[in-house]
Amino acid sequence: MTDYVDAGEAVAHRTLSNVKGEAPATRNVDYERIQGARSEPENWLTYYGTYDGQRYSTLNQITKDNVRRLVPAWVFQAGSTGMHSGASTYSFEATPLVVDGVMYVSGPDGKVWAIDPKTGEELWRYKHASPFDTSLCCGNVNRGVAVGHGKVYMYTLNAHLIALDATSGEKVWDTTNGDVRAGESGSAAPLIVKDMVVVGSAGGEFGVRGHLDAFDAETGERRWRCYTVPKPGEPGSETWPDDGEAWQRGGANCWITPTYDPELELLFQGTGNPAPDFDGGVREGDNLYTDSVVAIDVNTGEIRWHYQFTPHDLWDYDSTMENLLFDAPDGRKLLAHADKNGYFFVIDRTNGELVRVFPFVDRITWGEISADGKVTPKIYPDEEGVPVHFWPGPAGGKEWTHMSYNPETGLIYIPVQEVGATATRRRREFKESIPYWGAGVAVDLDDHYGFVSAVDPLTGEEKWRWNHEYPMCASNVTTAGGLVFQGTPSGEFVALDAQTGEKLWQFQCGSGHHSSPVTFEVDGRQYVAVPTGWGGWVEGFLPGLLGAAAGDALFCFALPED
Amino acid sequence: MTATADERADVLHKAGLDGQNRTTLGRMLGTGDVGYAEEGDDGVMRATVRIPEDQLIFDPSIIVFPHGGDIELTIINDDKNTHCALLPHNGDPKIIWLVNHSKGTARLNLDGPGAYWYGSTTGNDEGRGLTAALVMGGEVPDSAKLDRPPQPRP
Repeated sequence: MTDYVDAGEAVAHRTLSNVKGEAPATRNVDYERIQGARSEPENWLTYYGTYDGQRYSTLNQITKDNVRRLVPAWVFQAGSTGMHSGASTYSFEATPLVVDGVMYVSGPDGKVWAIDPKTGEELWRYKHASPFDTSLCCGNVNRGVAVGHGKVYMYTLNAHLIALDATSGEKVWDTTNGDVRAGESGSAAPLIVKDMVVVGSAGGEFGVRGHLDAFDAETGERRWRCYTVPKPGEPGSETWPDDGEAWQRGGANCWITPTYDPELELLFQGTGNPAPDFDGGVREGDNLYTDSVVAIDVNTGEIRWHYQFTPHDLWDYDSTMENLLFDAPDGRKLLAHADKNGYFFVIDRTNGELVRVFPFVDRITWGEISADGKVTPKIYPDEEGVPVHFWPGPAGGKEWTHMSYNPETGLIYIPVQEVGATATRRRREFKESIPYWGAGVAVDLDDHYGFVSAVDPLTGEEKWRWNHEYPMCASNVTTAGGLVFQGTPSGEFVALDAQTGEKLWQFQCGSGHHSSPVTFEVDGRQYVAVPTGWGGWVEGFLPGLLGAAAGDALFCFALPED
Repeated sequence: MTATADERADVLHKAGLDGQNRTTLGRMLGTGDVGYAEEGDDGVMRATVRIPEDQLIFDPSIIVFPHGGDIELTIINDDKNTHCALLPHNGDPKIIWLVNHSKGTARLNLDGPGAYWYGSTTGNDEGRGLTAALVMGGEVPDSAKLDRPPQPRP
């Protein structure tokens, strides 16, 4: 036999594509600039648009009067090759960022792209190789990147925080921050604060100990770690059994990006469910700081105050979703939070004092929270092997997907899920990396609906409601054009009148929405961008659509140029 | 019917699952051999994988590496057909085209621990059997572990 033909050396897959390989350099994004993000509405500089989590844009080219003319400007297809983790549960959940005419967005399975936001052209791509066998409770997802200091930061599925060069997409540093053998993973979008990058852990369904971490933005060195379940002897440890191991597996993961108040220098981090999710018998007590908002000193990582929404949770009521910051007319610094448990909380963000609490869903049977915040559980999985049905189900009246606040209307627009579930307690031993729920759970296949609820956070009054046959499982964004943009599980992307809730426009994207839309402007033209792709924890928030079409496309809309 | 590990190869053969166009149309994934990489003094982990004639399989179909890091994989196509390999790599997957009777190299970087699949992405080579795994063993660094006592594992 002759010598082998020389096949050479394997080359990067992207070299066999039309990706340009480089993005234009942008002005540097630093702490000062992010603090002033509202003053440059042409960009979407950080996860929520601004540190306060309002998801509000002052752009007003697209209005109630002309939105009916909105058309797709371009579509970006993420695509996939080969076998990857969560092959049937991947979802395009990200929030795209836009900086000075460059869009940065992450997709499923470790992908990050720089995209021309006018044309959809792929400028560069990075793909972090993600182990096929990573423990993922809720699919192969990533909620976005942070951009600043000339870099793009992403938290990978296998819990590495990586920094990429913003112009080339080349890796600058890589810090391993989680233990995949323990069931930890990464899905949250990092947040840049000062000269640090802040990101939290995922893995609460596998009995890990939750934490939020801050890193040096230049080197990747960890500055501090804040555990959200205390060790014995630490404040809050009295809410865990003192003779057990429960705290070691207590959950309280921080899998959604915190909001931040630069004046108070506090991060407002929502925390996840306790573990095991449904079996409280092995973790008697309130189980701090699960299902809470914790106010964390950004300089030290110390918890300044906390408010627990669901003490001793038995329903999987994570509170990781955003804590939206707004000020009352009298100047009082407030925080708004729509919890999985179906109640809407308004809290003084300087000290954690409850200001107001009211239900924002129609059906709440798990328990009751009084006006002064007293929690009374009513229905919960208690007896081994006995099924218990409750509303809201474990995905909650609102899951991680984000509401928005429009200062012009004074309303908060909540994407609401109305779906219940049955849980049957089944005690099990704890073993690292194995799901640790303590129950069998079946979410209702029918009897579900949803709506966008426009609520005045100062009174609790619902001003209007836009009804839909399916729960709302995606974030919304509101604009000075008097609009609220909301994606639906059945694929429609709709524009609602922010004053009345009237539907003014819709476009069918071909796959359900489970992401966060943004708006931005380039060369005087306003765009609205939304990743689509039905997936993630569908069996949790809407199993009635488990068979709906998957997808992973990013749509970008604008008014016709002519 | 169950089998011990030692009996597994016989069971797969008897069931017609370990070859082409027997019971199955292609070869069931994960039914090939297991191999081990060797770590050099330079810290690079090296292994060789071959595509035997008419078997549509990477052999060994599972290569175990002691930990994550830099990998040099030699890939030899002994088949009388053309294939390729699309391999995982931090930054972007890498691809190599493998005409009949060819030999090439892939330099990869992968995190550990964890398992990664790769395959020949032409036609349905992946479904016929040309899908294989690179398995990184080891533990994450101590700095990435949780502050808690050692926990039981399955």
